[in-house]
Amino acid sequence: MSVSFNTPTMRRISEDSIVRRLAAAAVVLGLVLIGLTAMQQRAQAATGTPVATGADGLTATQTLSRSFYPNGGVETTLENKVTVNLDKHSNVQANERIHITWSGAHPTGARAVNPFGYAGMQQEYPVLIMECRGTPSQVTPQTCWTDNWQERTQSASSDPSGDSAVWLDDAKNVAGSDDKRISGLTDAQASALPSSECSYGDDTAAHITPFATASKVYYNCSNQDMAPEETTGTSSTSSTPPQEISAFTNARGNGSADFEVRTDTQNASLGCSQSVACSVVVIPIEGLSCTAATQANCNSTGNYNAGQYYDGSTSGAAAVSSQLWWSPSNWDQRFTFPITIAPPPSVCSLNSASGAPVAFYGSELLSQAALQWTPAYCLNKKRFNWQDNVMSDDGAFALMRSGTGAAAEVSGRRDQDSGIAYAPTAVTGWGVAFDIDTPTGSQQLSLKLNARLLAKLLTESYSGGSVGRQRPGLDKNPYSLNLDPEFQELNPGLDVRHWSEAASTLLAVSTGSDVMQQVTSYIAEDKDAMAFIDGKADPWGMTVNPAYKGLSLPVSTWPLQDTWIPTTTDSCLSANKTPYMPLIDSPLSTMRLVSQAMLYNWPNVNTVCTVDNSTNPATNVIGRVGPQGIGSRFMLGLVDLGDAARYGLTLASLETAPGTYVAPSNTSMSAAVKLAEPGKKYKPFSLDEKTLRKSGTAYPGTMVVYTAAKTRGLSKSIAKKVAQFLQVSSTEGQVAGRGNGQLPNGYLPITKTGVTKELYAAEQAARAAIRAQKEPRTDGSATPSTTATASIAPPVGSKPGAAASVDAPPAQSTPSAAPSATPSTPSTSDVQLAKTAAVSSGLGGGMLPGLFLLALAAIIATLATRVILLMRGIR
Amino acid sequence: MSDTTTKSRATDRRAASPARPRRQVRPGEAEETLEVFSSALTVVAIVCVWMLLQLLVLGGFSQARSQHLLYAQFRSELAQATAPTGAVDYNGKTVERGAPVAVISIPRLGLEQVVVQGSTSRELVDGPGHLPSTPLPGQQGVSVVLGRASTYGAPFKAIDTLKVGDAITVQNAEAKVAYRVIGIRRAGDPIPPAPTGTQGRLTLVTAGGSGFLSGIRPRDAVYVDATTGKATGVGQVATSLPADQAMAKDTSVLPALSLYLALLIALVLGVSVARRRLRGSLVWLCAVPIAIALAWVTTDQVVALLPNLM
Repeated sequence: MSVSFNTPTMRRISEDSIVRRLAAAAVVLGLVLIGLTAMQQRAQAATGTPVATGADGLTATQTLSRSFYPNGGVETTLENKVTVNLDKHSNVQANERIHITWSGAHPTGARAVNPFGYAGMQQEYPVLIMECRGTPSQVTPQTCWTDNWQERTQSASSDPSGDSAVWLDDAKNVAGSDDKRISGLTDAQASALPSSECSYGDDTAAHITPFATASKVYYNCSNQDMAPEETTGTSSTSSTPPQEISAFTNARGNGSADFEVRTDTQNASLGCSQSVACSVVVIPIEGLSCTAATQANCNSTGNYNAGQYYDGSTSGAAAVSSQLWWSPSNWDQRFTFPITIAPPPSVCSLNSASGAPVAFYGSELLSQAALQWTPAYCLNKKRFNWQDNVMSDDGAFALMRSGTGAAAEVSGRRDQDSGIAYAPTAVTGWGVAFDIDTPTGSQQLSLKLNARLLAKLLTESYSGGSVGRQRPGLDKNPYSLNLDPEFQELNPGLDVRHWSEAASTLLAVSTGSDVMQQVTSYIAEDKDAMAFIDGKADPWGMTVNPAYKGLSLPVSTWPLQDTWIPTTTDSCLSANKTPYMPLIDSPLSTMRLVSQAMLYNWPNVNTVCTVDNSTNPATNVIGRVGPQGIGSRFMLGLVDLGDAARYGLTLASLETAPGTYVAPSNTSMSAAVKLAEPGKKYKPFSLDEKTLRKSGTAYPGTMVVYTAAKTRGLSKSIAKKVAQFLQVSSTEGQVAGRGNGQLPNGYLPITKTGVTKELYAAEQAARAAIRAQKEPRTDGSATPSTTATASIAPPVGSKPGAAASVDAPPAQSTPSAAPSATPSTPSTSDVQLAKTAAVSSGLGGGMLPGLFLLALAAIIATLATRVILLMRGIR
Repeated sequence: MSDTTTKSRATDRRAASPARPRRQVRPGEAEETLEVFSSALTVVAIVCVWMLLQLLVLGGFSQARSQHLLYAQFRSELAQATAPTGAVDYNGKTVERGAPVAVISIPRLGLEQVVVQGSTSRELVDGPGHLPSTPLPGQQGVSVVLGRASTYGAPFKAIDTLKVGDAITVQNAEAKVAYRVIGIRRAGDPIPPAPTGTQGRLTLVTAGGSGFLSGIRPRDAVYVDATTGKATGVGQVATSLPADQAMAKDTSVLPALSLYLALLIALVLGVSVARRRLRGSLVWLCAVPIAIALAWVTTDQVVALLPNLM
């Protein structure tokens, strides 16, 4: 078209027609440009833009390239077509782990045992995963979270001949900004740079990637200017480990990682929340593209072989490590996946429009479902404000019966439950989570355990190491689970040489719960396991810890019975004379804490001695061991299936029929539910371990959570609310999904048809009875008295010492203290909240005035009689 | 005792001025009954005044002294990290009743008291007492602390004047826990919902009266609830005795009380025998300290038979 402008005919055309043609040409040109940009966008879509897969997954593929001069030779272009998959991205909860897999990436060298944070950044060709604030189009290196300033700032000699400041050689650097001596900053940031921390000599080049919160910039030039959530060093004992992972890719180019998402509750500076969009950024490090063959450091292909562990002999090559993740060669080849964050747990307490919360108390098994269910109540004006509180099953039931709690979430029948209906609410269970790495450093993904192995772990029958070995009766036992021939036979290919105290125990819960009741009845139904506890040696000669010999199971609280105190010259142990084996066990108060320990690979073994210099003289304190390094983990924990699904924990298969091992899954839970026998009217089903263990397909850790509420004496409004809860939780609450009100993974939906139909029918019946509040009294007036004062005597000998006490020993957190305990009849005059009982004492009120009056009267009378006597002349 | 004696003597001296000579009472005459009656009333008056004196004044001294010793003990236990974190101490032994378990301070009232384990009348003589069947103050769950309202230093005399939002700080074996008052409860008021997770509730219990002289008429239990979001881990809990509950009495002191009463009787007999042989002033010089000491310990036992929140 532009050609026509140049033709001689043009001269003949009048001026206004020129204008017209110009306009037409502009329109056409515009259209072509729009088309071109659209095509370009489409072209981008083919590389690196996420596409939905599966239920909630995302996938993206792009070709990464690196143009450089290997070993100073000819220019070469290295290409890798990388595909990255996320298994979920919407409604992500705090601490939830996204499982990320990839293929086609460059194999990793200089492998680090701990790939998190700064520790992982020495690796060559890792896949860096980080959480960044902003949608994919908004993220910049400055909004991506790292744990430490050293991951954000690099400085080196700026002398080009020395080739130290590798990032300056990046061929993709934008001229005029990235190639400056102090780079990485916007102009405004550069002028506001704090000179105290960020001053560099004239011969030093630095690249600074400040961290920008929504309102403030932290320059991260040194540990003096970091966001509050950042940590000062590479210390592995910080309570939350670094979030970003420099993950490992194997020789075939495949790798996987579980990336933990943190919300504004855990990391306010990053600030990801329901309203603040965030992304997961995955940067498979391909290496810097270089401008000249002379740049030896930039052109490095790495100092280690693929798969080789970092050994400290030489450092990882910066050009191919994740240290320079912000460099254009790396950053421009990122994958950015948008994620959405679920409403925070506080959404209901902050929502004043939703009315006063109606509290349900009970089993921790329900907590992951409750996390998704709660917002569906308080954000819906037609529903009440449901609140779920975790409490021991016994305590919750007592609260419900006393009227303090509207309903209780329990998993088994309780005593004195006449007039109480149990409505099946969720099918889930417990599992044994494990963090175990194979001798080659990869994560073990399956594990088989039987009841005797569980019994050995719980009874502290593995000595754990040289100290525990001195305990009489444990000297001939293996140090830890992985050294036990029984375990090795079941799980070949694991580490059989090393031992640790963490590998000699099962991290369990200290509080009383139906879960422990079922775990121990699983053991109790196994002949071999019970024979072992009763003192019979296993076929390999291992015997039970004498402190637990003859323990009768099941129990609802695991007792810490070993009171053996080591006699040792060790200054720390002799300064802290406490029973040793419970320090290894150190159960936690909730399964959530166990899950968290598993999430961070951090055993709760409290046998490490540290010197506390804050006292004078310095004292020896026994504390928790450090987190285990990736590649050499071995720990086990008792968790619930909801938590395991949420945090991406791996779960062991448990033995059912001899020689058959069943892993937890919806299929195996269905098989278990099929075996459940309906109980009496409105009462729980019986799902005993004896039946479960006969089946070869049912998962023995399956448990049903019931909502228990009164069928008489509940106030109308409360009865209506409990019925509404049951109605909602049995319909939309049983739809599997990640949205508000839906049922998360780890729970088996209870549906009208299929194996759960009997549970569904029982729920319907119980709901009707709770709604009606008309169940007649069958047991006369024999209502139990003093229901709420379930003060439980401490289990014998349990006592991690003062040092290990934060999550220490079991305690029924007796919720109903004296004042609330006094209502001695669970009366029919029911109220939403229990009322303070009248306690008064006439003696207390009248004593002091009475004494005073009496004294006064007596003195007056004495004086009077004396006067009379005197008047009569008597001395 | 000595006070009243001198008083009656003074009366004697004043009455001695008239001319009529004084005489002894003869057995059988009407005046004898009057004199016995008068002496009995004197004893009643002495007992009542002594009780009041000990409950309201002397008890305060002894409580302050106990607090001083308990504070020193708890401070050293904290320093050595041996302070109890539950019903069982670091040695595996049950924490004894009367042992310090926490320090509670309420800046608004200028109150700082060492809380002791157990809440029967006897423990509350030394300071506020922790109901053993609840978690220790500062720990997760509902901790209950009972304290006297009128007698023995009356540590909890003014807690019913606390306002919502007032700070209460508890130092237990593990940490300093900051509570905020959420309300004051009397009979019939709703009990706040049970704390969950790391929450903790501290319920202070004392007695309160109403109307004229309400300060010395502690009749009905009053509860002050304070909550915290960050309580420390729960240790074991012990079992409570019936005598630990609010307004309960401790009858386990009856044997000891009868022993002390017997000693008092012995003292009376001893004094009357001695007076026949020795000079009166000499006898009283020896007997008065013994009498005061005996009266003191006897009253401490009697106090156990009174409601613990008094």
